[in-house]
Amino acid sequence: MSPEETKQLFNQRLGRYQAAIALEPTDRIPIATGSNYFAEIYSGNTQQQTLYDPQKWLEAEEIFIRDFPEIDVLRNNRIYGPLYDAIDCKTYRLPGRDLPPDTQFQFVEKEYMKPDEYDILIDDPKRFLFDCFLPRVLGEFAEKGTPRSYIAFLKAGMAQMMMGQVMRNRAVYLEQTHGMPQPMTGAFLAPFDVIADAMRGLTGIMTDLYRCPEKLKAACEVVVHEIANFALATADPFRRYPIFVPTHKAMFLSPEQFDEFYWPSFKKTIEILIEAGYTVRAYLEGDWSAHLHRLRELPKGKVVCDIDSQGDIFTAKEILGGYQCIAGGVKDSQLILGTPQQMRSHVKLLCETVGKDGGFMISGGCNFPYTTKAENLRALIDAVLEFGVYDSSISPQPRKPDPQRQAVPGLEPQQMLTPWASKLSELGGVQGDEALIRTSWEQLESMAYNWMWQWVM
Amino acid sequence: MRDLIEALRDLKESEVNELVENRIAEGVSPLEIIAACNEGMVAVGELFSQNKYFISQLIFSAEILKGVMKRLDPLLKGQAPASTDKKVVIGTVKGDIHDIGKNIVGTLLRGSGFDVVDLGVDVPADRFVTAVKQSGAKVLGMSALLNFTYPEMKNVVDAVIEAGLRDKVRIIIGGAPVNEQVREYAGADHYASDAVSGVKLCKDVYA
Repeated sequence: MSPEETKQLFNQRLGRYQAAIALEPTDRIPIATGSNYFAEIYSGNTQQQTLYDPQKWLEAEEIFIRDFPEIDVLRNNRIYGPLYDAIDCKTYRLPGRDLPPDTQFQFVEKEYMKPDEYDILIDDPKRFLFDCFLPRVLGEFAEKGTPRSYIAFLKAGMAQMMMGQVMRNRAVYLEQTHGMPQPMTGAFLAPFDVIADAMRGLTGIMTDLYRCPEKLKAACEVVVHEIANFALATADPFRRYPIFVPTHKAMFLSPEQFDEFYWPSFKKTIEILIEAGYTVRAYLEGDWSAHLHRLRELPKGKVVCDIDSQGDIFTAKEILGGYQCIAGGVKDSQLILGTPQQMRSHVKLLCETVGKDGGFMISGGCNFPYTTKAENLRALIDAVLEFGVYDSSISPQPRKPDPQRQAVPGLEPQQMLTPWASKLSELGGVQGDEALIRTSWEQLESMAYNWMWQWVM
Repeated sequence: MRDLIEALRDLKESEVNELVENRIAEGVSPLEIIAACNEGMVAVGELFSQNKYFISQLIFSAEILKGVMKRLDPLLKGQAPASTDKKVVIGTVKGDIHDIGKNIVGTLLRGSGFDVVDLGVDVPADRFVTAVKQSGAKVLGMSALLNFTYPEMKNVVDAVIEAGLRDKVRIIIGGAPVNEQVREYAGADHYASDAVSGVKLCKDVYA
């Protein structure tokens, strides 16, 4: 492919993807899963290599693209093993390290925040992170103040930069060599999940709903601003791609609990990101049927809703059709255990029903599983090309990249551990151009602050 | 005991604790109190089956029960609840370390009077087989959250066949990525779409 052709292909894929999100007409249904696990190991490499050897990971995906060029997006920003090792992040078990090299990475929930620590979190999130949360969740920080803990932070900061470089290079390479855009860039959690996943754990959060409901709600409110700033700091500066939010605990809640505890702070966070010019891709884990209608309250065409294998894509279309784009439709078991014939007739049905009026992208339950059968994915793609074309005369074009930073009403400013004003007063003023010094100071402070918050993910 | 049963059913934790204290003071036997609590748990399960309760409520009811058991434990001294021959072996299959679903099932089973042999997570096929053999359980329950475990579920069923136990034990599978298609592939007897329906299947086996 010439550079011009590659660029055209990139624009076509991204334009198709963006049109589906915006509920606008396009040429065909995008084939756009959030996490393409299958592609990551398509060359036969191990899952350890995906997390530890970026080159091997990329090579796997290049072979995948060669065999499945009709795919519209491929994700970036997987867990980067060296970073997790440097700081000894306790929340994940990684293939090749704590698990056999061919196993999927797995999240481990524990009570990393005690029930009587809500007040600290609410009053002073920074203190909460440093005194309560981080020493428990980061093994290398357990013994604060030791040479080993200082070096661990330094190493982890360097590993973070290495990871940033890996992901940036990948994104550029996939774009310029293969014309391949990403399904999302940057990430956040719903405030309720920030507290539930890595801090309180499932049993803890479920008892908090009854034992300290007001504190839980107050903590969710505090987290809105922390996590929204985190999302913006990790998002695509050109606003081409949605920001990713995997939801985890909503599936366990009654509709009343969801409305009272989960939705208000989640909605506020998404509204801030939309206000900042972004779209969001939300993985609605489990069965969200009882909560889906709430997503109609958000501006139309701004949130891609990934419907999980346990959810029902037809119900989702009924509720969200005309409001938000939905993704999914193919169950994990159909990709892993089904036959190409079954896939073809199922995808035909999807194209003729949920895909009919746009606002739909085909995917598994948020991912294409590691053990997907290649012939089933091929059948899926062929069926979309046969039954999922809306109007082949349309040549999809992406929106203009929008790199403008804008202040967002309702969002508290990015917190910093040592704001410039404190530093300036310590220095007793500066002799030259203050802005030159301040800009970099604040940039590093912001990066470090958001680095701390990533451990809730 | 109606009030205690209903307080637990309605998830009123402090009321449950108060009622338990009152019963203890009145000299009611701990076993009777436990029986009432189990009845309350059954009522919670029923509300779940009717879609009036969700998983959050199942979990919290189990937490209330845990508190009551902790209070009663020192009073039980030797009066262990009558041992039961209704045994169920459960575990999360090899490769998967998730246990939320399995634990909910375990709690509900115990609340319904089952003797639960919980093998934990990442359980290889031979441990399932040994546990079934040793306990004589008529039900084997396998749980998973991750979809790469389908072949492992089949492995366990095959190992049960190989051990000559297939006609002695009913095999149930459950968990997020599991459905009828997976059941058929693995060769299990039943697929339970949620914890309460899993418990119901166990009750049917021992009925």
